[in-house]
Amino acid sequence: MGKGVPAANKIKTDLHEILDIRHLTDSTFVLRIEKKDLEFEAGQHVCVGPPNGIHTREYSIYSAEQDEYIEILVKEVENGLVSPSLKKLQKGGYVVVEEPVGYFTINKDLPQAQKYVFIASGTGVSPFHSFVLSGKAQNYTLLHGVKYASEAYESEAYDENKYVLCTSQEDKGTFNGRVTDYLKANHFGVDAHYYLCGNCNMIHDVYDILEEQGVSTDNIHAEVYF
Amino acid sequence: MKYHLVTLGCQMNQSDSERVKRVLDGMGAQWTDNESEANIIGILACSVRQKAIDKVYSKIAHWNKRKASQNLITFISGCILPADKTKFLKLFDIVFAMRELPQLPQMLSQYGIATPAGLERDNLNPKEEINFFWKVKPKYNSAFEAFIPIQNGCDKFCSFCAVPYTRGREVSRPSHEIIDEVKNLVEKGYKSITLLGQNVNSYGLDKKGEEITFAQLLERIGQIGATTNHRFWVYFTSPHPRDMSREVIEVIAKYDCLAKQIHLPIQSGDDKVLIKMNRKHSVKKYRESVDAIRELIPQATLFTDIIVGFSGESEEQFQNTRKALKEFQYNMAYIAMYSKRPGAASYSWPDDVELKIKKERLALLSEDLAEVSGAYNTAMVGQVFPVLVRDTDRKSGYLSGQTEGKITVRFASDNKALIGQIVDVKITSASNFSVEGELVEVAAKVG
Repeated sequence: MGKGVPAANKIKTDLHEILDIRHLTDSTFVLRIEKKDLEFEAGQHVCVGPPNGIHTREYSIYSAEQDEYIEILVKEVENGLVSPSLKKLQKGGYVVVEEPVGYFTINKDLPQAQKYVFIASGTGVSPFHSFVLSGKAQNYTLLHGVKYASEAYESEAYDENKYVLCTSQEDKGTFNGRVTDYLKANHFGVDAHYYLCGNCNMIHDVYDILEEQGVSTDNIHAEVYF
Repeated sequence: MKYHLVTLGCQMNQSDSERVKRVLDGMGAQWTDNESEANIIGILACSVRQKAIDKVYSKIAHWNKRKASQNLITFISGCILPADKTKFLKLFDIVFAMRELPQLPQMLSQYGIATPAGLERDNLNPKEEINFFWKVKPKYNSAFEAFIPIQNGCDKFCSFCAVPYTRGREVSRPSHEIIDEVKNLVEKGYKSITLLGQNVNSYGLDKKGEEITFAQLLERIGQIGATTNHRFWVYFTSPHPRDMSREVIEVIAKYDCLAKQIHLPIQSGDDKVLIKMNRKHSVKKYRESVDAIRELIPQATLFTDIIVGFSGESEEQFQNTRKALKEFQYNMAYIAMYSKRPGAASYSWPDDVELKIKKERLALLSEDLAEVSGAYNTAMVGQVFPVLVRDTDRKSGYLSGQTEGKITVRFASDNKALIGQIVDVKITSASNFSVEGELVEVAAKVG
């Protein structure tokens, strides 16, 4: 703000440079952006929007805490407020990034050997990618529900023995069916901590299954993707 | 130069308006109740309900017509959604975020002059800017009740709410400023002080250990009460169940000046609805807080907020909310029918509970509340309660006020000098949402 210039009507921006864009499918891409002084805990999210736009939206951070950049996994939503604009951006461009917040994090008081079951649908895998890359959980199983195997989104990041790709529309995953079907057939016990991230219907269905399996609500952590 | 201010929405906006008035007074402008004689008219908007936004559009259309025959500057601030802001920029002379209030005189003096401000990027960190806002001394609207903002913004992102997009992230006000403001109000004899914040009990969390916690803040305020002869009650609103700690409840129990009334929004009594609302707590977690309140402060009254007819809310899920209302024995519940708010995450979800069903659910919950609240009020009959007298009652020859637990009381008296005082009232009869009594005497510890 220049001296003597009224502050009215100004547009708030905190611009971060786009360092790289990786297109994973026709509609899904990873945006790597300048970290600047932003620190975060794996599982948290940032509000991101195009420069000079009026909207931002929350995106779970995809990268690791120790990385020198921040990555978000974006799926273009038809008629979305933000994602179509983000898709048009190029490397070297800028995005607005607000500071990381959120509570979908690993409880530091739990023992290192704690069993975690991460259950995601689609790009809801993002916080789990950050958990694993940040070394937040060793004893985990990640159930990733997608329609097609092409939506596995850089699954090489996970230990192949700990990653279960559930494909509902083709038989190319670890399991042909929905994550809910897999969960019904495979119990992980009442002592595990369950982290659910993705669309609300999946979360509600998983919640019912876990409740039926006797899992306490204290052990169920959910982050709804809008 | 005269000014008028229209304040819509919550107590936070009411509190903000007291600071806006101070700034305008400082410019030499004079307040007028008469909107039509004002040269500066401002509006503090609320984006929580569509009705409030509709009112803004109606007002500005009227004011802009007046400009043909009168010198008039209009401004708008408060909770404004990004989409509305772009429209307001064309309708109002000045649009600003509340944290930019200290710069309002500068904006007013240069209004109408084309400047690069509309396009210039703001490099000032909003978290730093809000500190300048808090330094503006408010012009309190009341001589005995005051609101103190202690925290601004929201990190919770409830899916039905647009506040995170209008007020930004959580920022805590420096504790020494809050303590000073409380001390000042107590010295002036204020009887009711309300600490305000979108998530008031998340106070300090954003500072990551560099500021005291909400419990510690209450402890320090409690100590002010313990060292004065003035009787006053300190409230806070609204806390978030996720951050309601046992420590906070213990401190409230410990100090007389910390009011034994807690407003703890539940929104729904169904875990799956709470997940969809992105509330970040379960009914079980909520129950733990209520159990702690009942254990440590058995005399406390409990208020809440509930939304009925949220996207996808089934009959079974609604019934769980009814069960919760009965279980937690609320004295008051602010029950709203869900409506989509542009900008909120749930805007893209179907608003699929029919209006007729929403109305039925609202009516059923209201009946349940009346039953629970009425039983509590009936049990008050025969007991004496200190009451802060707030105004004359609608019933001629009566004054009305509130107990420490914010139960509305009326009693026969023509003595308007009692307004703003804490007096003892013996409760003689009760209805579902209020009680009636007889004045016993002016309480001994009147300030």
